[in-house]
Amino acid sequence: MKAYFTKLLIYLCISYTSISLTAAVYNLVNGNEPGSANTLVMFAFCLISSIVLSFYELLPDVSPLAMIIIQYLVACALCAVLLLILSLIEPISPKGWFEYYRSFTIPYIIWAGIYYFSVYLDTRKKNDLLKEIQKKEKE
Amino acid sequence: MKLNLYEDKKTKEEHVDVYFTNMRPMIRQLIDTVNSERPMLSGRPADEDLDDGDEIMIDPKEVYYLDFVDRKLFAYTGDGVFRVMKTLAECEELLWNYGFVRVSKSDLVNVFKIRTLKPAFNMKVYACFDNGEKICVNRSYKKKFDEYLQEMRRMA
Repeated sequence: MKAYFTKLLIYLCISYTSISLTAAVYNLVNGNEPGSANTLVMFAFCLISSIVLSFYELLPDVSPLAMIIIQYLVACALCAVLLLILSLIEPISPKGWFEYYRSFTIPYIIWAGIYYFSVYLDTRKKNDLLKEIQKKEKE
Repeated sequence: MKLNLYEDKKTKEEHVDVYFTNMRPMIRQLIDTVNSERPMLSGRPADEDLDDGDEIMIDPKEVYYLDFVDRKLFAYTGDGVFRVMKTLAECEELLWNYGFVRVSKSDLVNVFKIRTLKPAFNMKVYACFDNGEKICVNRSYKKKFDEYLQEMRRMA
């Protein structure tokens, strides 16, 4: 069941992203909607964040907490570079920069907290499993 | 497990019959014992840097974990630390049925000797043993460790 919902969620994400991107590119080319560029920028941020987060398995000796902080800083830096390049085309106000960091940091902290909590829950579950195995071995 | 022993002076060939519901590690251990293939680790006391101590046989059941340091493999038991003349990969294969699973590049732990698993503040998970020592379960090996525990439960 879990695998089914995971698959479903992946399909949903892919189809929604494809439709949004196609619509944004189409609107941008035809000059229909001014917000289309924002959609593309948001997609670029998501892409950078996903690539950075996918390196979680690297540096196994670094603690997960340190890795989360490092990944946050790297993702922030890469997104800032992207914004800096974009600001050459269209200037970004200081409030724009602040808004960007706020909208990036809040979900990141929430997900990091969920991950932190899941580590504790998972360890507790594994402890129960260990006790069960040890008990059966003694019988 | 119920054990029946029969003494029969007329038996020409001594034999063991095992009735089991599924081939779990304990049954495999029993088979190894009957076939005289029960793995034993030969090692030498690791105190100081002497390698010429008497070689002794170590029962895997007594081992908490195996640690590979400076190209040497050490077995940590309740009676002390012993240097084992095998590679970690060999031990991993040999002791799979005996509760040993890899938790990092250099450590193989005995799941039957783990007292508890504890997450630290930095989110690292440690396997704590009865002797007070702890070994980090590396996140690269987390999946393998989980699968091993599930497999052990399924077979137990």
